[in-house]
Amino acid sequence: MSDFSNALSVSASGLRAQAQRLQHVSENIANADTPGYRRKMVRFETVAAADPARGTVRTGAVQLDRSELPQVHDPAHPLSGPDGYYDGSNVDLIVEIADAREAQRSYEANLKMFEQARQMSSGLMELLRK
Amino acid sequence: MDIRALMASQSYEASRPATQPDPAAAPGSAFANAAADFAETLKTGETAAMEAMTTGADPHALVHALAQTELAVETAVTVRDKVVEAYQEILRMPV
Repeated sequence: MSDFSNALSVSASGLRAQAQRLQHVSENIANADTPGYRRKMVRFETVAAADPARGTVRTGAVQLDRSELPQVHDPAHPLSGPDGYYDGSNVDLIVEIADAREAQRSYEANLKMFEQARQMSSGLMELLRK
Repeated sequence: MDIRALMASQSYEASRPATQPDPAAAPGSAFANAAADFAETLKTGETAAMEAMTTGADPHALVHALAQTELAVETAVTVRDKVVEAYQEILRMPV
């Protein structure tokens, strides 16, 4: 495989990883009001391929945010204890929006690299056609 | 006379392995490998496209496979054009 096709596969793995990240961000935002929901965090890791030149990225196992759940006071809630409090979710919407924006920017960067590899290979082939 | 004929047949027998085709050292093997690689890339692209159409597989895999196929086809077409051009150049040579 040429360097160009390696670059294409690395960029494609980056695209896939960022899409996965966006999926977990939207899960967090959708469950922001779910009682007892813990925020999901995505870990990126490099694939240890046999060939060291091929450093594709992938998302690792999903981790849960272990920080303390906020106590919400609502005595009418079915999940509330005798003191009228229940566990909320530890999702911070500002953090999630920032994370989603970062995923979008990284996705765009990977797209640019994909496009660049294609343009460079086309330029090389153009040289042969002269 | 008989001895010389025997020698001739013996030396022919001895030299025969040298004229046997050796698939590893043949000049066309590199080209054959490249063609097989090309066919493999095309097949991967087609399989990914079919999966994306029928089962809704990962669109990133589809884009990646199609870009790889495009790269392979472009390379093959350019090299073919160059070879055909060189062949026609030879044909035009005044003899």
